[in-house]
Amino acid sequence: MNILDIRNLTIEIDGDNGPIRLVDKLSLQIAEGEIHTLVGESGSGKSLLAKAILGFINPRWRVTADRLWWRHYDLLALNPEQRRVVTGRDMAMIFQNPGSYLDPNASIGAQLQECIPSGDLKGLYLRRRADRKTRAERLLHRVGIKDHDAVMQAYPFELSDGVAQKVSIAMAIAHNPKLLIADEPTTAMEPQTRSQIYRLLSKLNASQGMSVLMITQDLTAIMPETKRISMVYCGQLMEVGTPQQLLEQPLHPYTEAMLSMSLANHNTPVKTRLPTLGGSIPTMANLPIGCRLGPRCQHARRACIDTPRLRKLKQHQFACHYPLIEVKNYD
Amino acid sequence: MTEPLLQIQQVSKSYYHKTGWFRGRRTLALEPISFALQAGETLAIMGETGSGKSTLAKIIAGVEVPSSGQVLLRGEVLEPHNYRQRCKHIRMIFQDSLRSLNLQTSIGQQLLEPLRFNTALDPQEQQQKVIATLRQVGLLPEHFNFYPHMLSSGQQQRVCIARAIILEPQIIVADEAFVALDPSIRAQIINLILDLQEDMGISFIFISHSAEIVKHVADKILIMHHGKLVEFGTTEALLSNPQQQLTKLLLGVE
Repeated sequence: MNILDIRNLTIEIDGDNGPIRLVDKLSLQIAEGEIHTLVGESGSGKSLLAKAILGFINPRWRVTADRLWWRHYDLLALNPEQRRVVTGRDMAMIFQNPGSYLDPNASIGAQLQECIPSGDLKGLYLRRRADRKTRAERLLHRVGIKDHDAVMQAYPFELSDGVAQKVSIAMAIAHNPKLLIADEPTTAMEPQTRSQIYRLLSKLNASQGMSVLMITQDLTAIMPETKRISMVYCGQLMEVGTPQQLLEQPLHPYTEAMLSMSLANHNTPVKTRLPTLGGSIPTMANLPIGCRLGPRCQHARRACIDTPRLRKLKQHQFACHYPLIEVKNYD
Repeated sequence: MTEPLLQIQQVSKSYYHKTGWFRGRRTLALEPISFALQAGETLAIMGETGSGKSTLAKIIAGVEVPSSGQVLLRGEVLEPHNYRQRCKHIRMIFQDSLRSLNLQTSIGQQLLEPLRFNTALDPQEQQQKVIATLRQVGLLPEHFNFYPHMLSSGQQQRVCIARAIILEPQIIVADEAFVALDPSIRAQIINLILDLQEDMGISFIFISHSAEIVKHVADKILIMHHGKLVEFGTTEALLSNPQQQLTKLLLGVE
């Protein structure tokens, strides 16, 4: 059962020469309790997608979709207040660089207690205050911080990256969300800290059935528990599949290029040049027509000036006119 | 045995904190450390946060003054604060390329500046040198008049590399220069650095916590922990026979 169902989500802004499609017909389905990873480089619109789900929408954007459903709510049909109630109750988000988005002027304890929903507290004034504090401590224990007193009294600048990210996860899970959107939570973190955060998220996923939408840049540094991966490039969906399908038999040239240029998977001789995609990521102002990978793709041919349809082969979806292996019987 | 290019002799760094009116406490960020590097070699410095690896890189580049010890380049002592002597030989690349570039001057002007202060070239030759360097890092002569915000992050990092190599240094120090880049751009930058090293024989000292990049690029690895040198050796030696638990952890060796 899909709790989040997005079909053909498009985000446009007005440019100098007509509208610019920042996100072009993106589809995404997340099942209950699933960890879904969205992989894309900068400028691929992955953060925009997260913002569109949560409803942090800039008035300049035009968001249209065939379907944008969260459980049984049609998010685009709700008015802003109803939508805020729904997303505020069921979703939460964590960001890159936690140290910089925590309030530098308030202690962690104060910020954490502010996140605890008042409706859950019991008793009268003083009881409520004590209850709030114990709940905050319990949250810190749940994200694996044992020394709660020291962390509650600390200010954000005193915390290391890993601890600050754990605190921000604690804030996000304060109201038991059904979906956690993690926008590059571990980029620029050390591998040890990254695996700690990954372990914590997968524990929360297993114990509470919380779905996770993990957004990341690097295909080779994904969470081991990921059920499905979506590859995005410049706002277009390139390939969707299980980690096994994508890592072992990618169908899209972009996925293959991302795998071959990373050093983790294969034994390239030391100091040899790495295979790369030529050129750089196009800017939003001059996006190519058709398949946006076209100008950088080695397999690009004439048909690529038409945007390829997302095609399906046994739960493995891809959008390419010339997939890497001969594919028959897809629909 | 030839004379090493760079020698670090008993270099240490300590900071003084005031704890009262008359009292103070000294914390040692970097304990006395010594090692040597040959010309054309690549050294990777690895360690956890707060292990003093950035301090060491900054001391080598001359951004920080060591509390004791000295840095020798081809047997010649590099004086602290003598930037004129040092900047021709040792240059540094920073993590955040956009923040290390001046947003208010064009790329060309920023590349001309080191030439103007450190070389005897006339304006015509300076201009040609800048354009040649831009080509060398894979940019176009048109980028001379661009401003940093007009370039993509990969191109900005290329400008930083151009600024580092324009004086034809012997050593380039890079502090986490690959972290903030996209995977496809990162591969391009690694290729560029390998090409430049082949063409110009530059030694690289870089800080990274990505074991894959270190394994691919480095000749020697230096592991640090709490300001101490834990292990130092060639990449093959450390990969095949790591002595310390931390080395195994950082390099991902079983």
